[in-house]
Amino acid sequence: MSENLEQSFVAQLKANQNIIHKICRLYTAGEDAHKDLFQEITIQLWKAYPKFRGDSKFSTWTYRVALNTAITLYRKTKRTISTVEYESHQHFVKDVDYNYEEEEQIKLMYKAVYQLNDIEKALVFMYLEDKDYQEIAETLGISEVNARVKMNRIKGKLKKILNP
Amino acid sequence: MKELDLLKKDWKKNANSFEQISETEIYKMIHKKSSSIVKWILIISILEILFWTVSNFFFSTDEMLIKIKHPEMIFYLEVMTSFNYVIVLIFVYFFYKNYKTISTTESTKLLMSSILKTRKTVQYYVWYNLAMAVISSIISFFIAFIYNPDMEFFRDKLAANGQAMFMTIGIFMLVTLVFLGLFWCFYRLLYGTLLRRLFANYKELKKIDF
Repeated sequence: MSENLEQSFVAQLKANQNIIHKICRLYTAGEDAHKDLFQEITIQLWKAYPKFRGDSKFSTWTYRVALNTAITLYRKTKRTISTVEYESHQHFVKDVDYNYEEEEQIKLMYKAVYQLNDIEKALVFMYLEDKDYQEIAETLGISEVNARVKMNRIKGKLKKILNP
Repeated sequence: MKELDLLKKDWKKNANSFEQISETEIYKMIHKKSSSIVKWILIISILEILFWTVSNFFFSTDEMLIKIKHPEMIFYLEVMTSFNYVIVLIFVYFFYKNYKTISTTESTKLLMSSILKTRKTVQYYVWYNLAMAVISSIISFFIAFIYNPDMEFFRDKLAANGQAMFMTIGIFMLVTLVFLGLFWCFYRLLYGTLLRRLFANYKELKKIDF
């Protein structure tokens, strides 16, 4: 029984691992920290798995547990991200129609997002993942209206960081 | 916001660019130990509860009580001791109950508040014990002063000299304050490093919903 549980968990996690990678990318700097957080999220997901009933999608459930682990449970060793680490951390895919100006803007934008606090990052993360405000609000435990207000404030803050 | 849309486009483009973790690696990971703050809080809390419960055994006043030869005093202290056990059990029960509500599948805000609540339970237990330590040392100071035959010499001396009396009380209070201050610093340090980030994030979340 428990082996079956393990098997189904591992298979589902493997298929959904990019969700975790994306969160690690936003909340950590450097490969070691990325792996470390990935492992902690995996452990927390596994610990919570017996309670996973399947009435929500595995991916939806993963978003919640993974974000909670990154924001609340994980003990970060390094808080700030240096430019060097940031550059090496990116995996830019170079297109044929490589647009230098656009690429620069994206880089600056990533840097700006890294300067946000943990909660703001969570909102931006879910926004980038096309989550609706209802899900954002439910995941964080705030009201939908306030989630919208906060997101608008974050946009303002990002603008300020980009054009100081 | 134009830049945010650009970022989203890039974010999606890179969504599958991560080095994939194999099933074997995932198997290995789920058998590793967590190093989350909840685990640290649990370990520290158990140590705290044990420390205070065990220290109650060591600060035994039996020897002094035998010397005093006042059976009613012994009775009161026995009542106090049993009361203390009941309190310990109540605290352990609430600690366990709150600890069990900590769940990563709840919303972030709820998860944070249940961690803080669990932490608070232990904090109350520590405050209770500190208060009891202060109260019982004051009481035993007076009992010793009034009833203990060994203190007779001291008592006579103090009665003759008012200044010495104040000095004694002053030193006693100073020692208590230093003792409490040390504890306070210790806790600030211990939980400060462990919970600083959690507090900050919790505050931020509460601010959003204000």
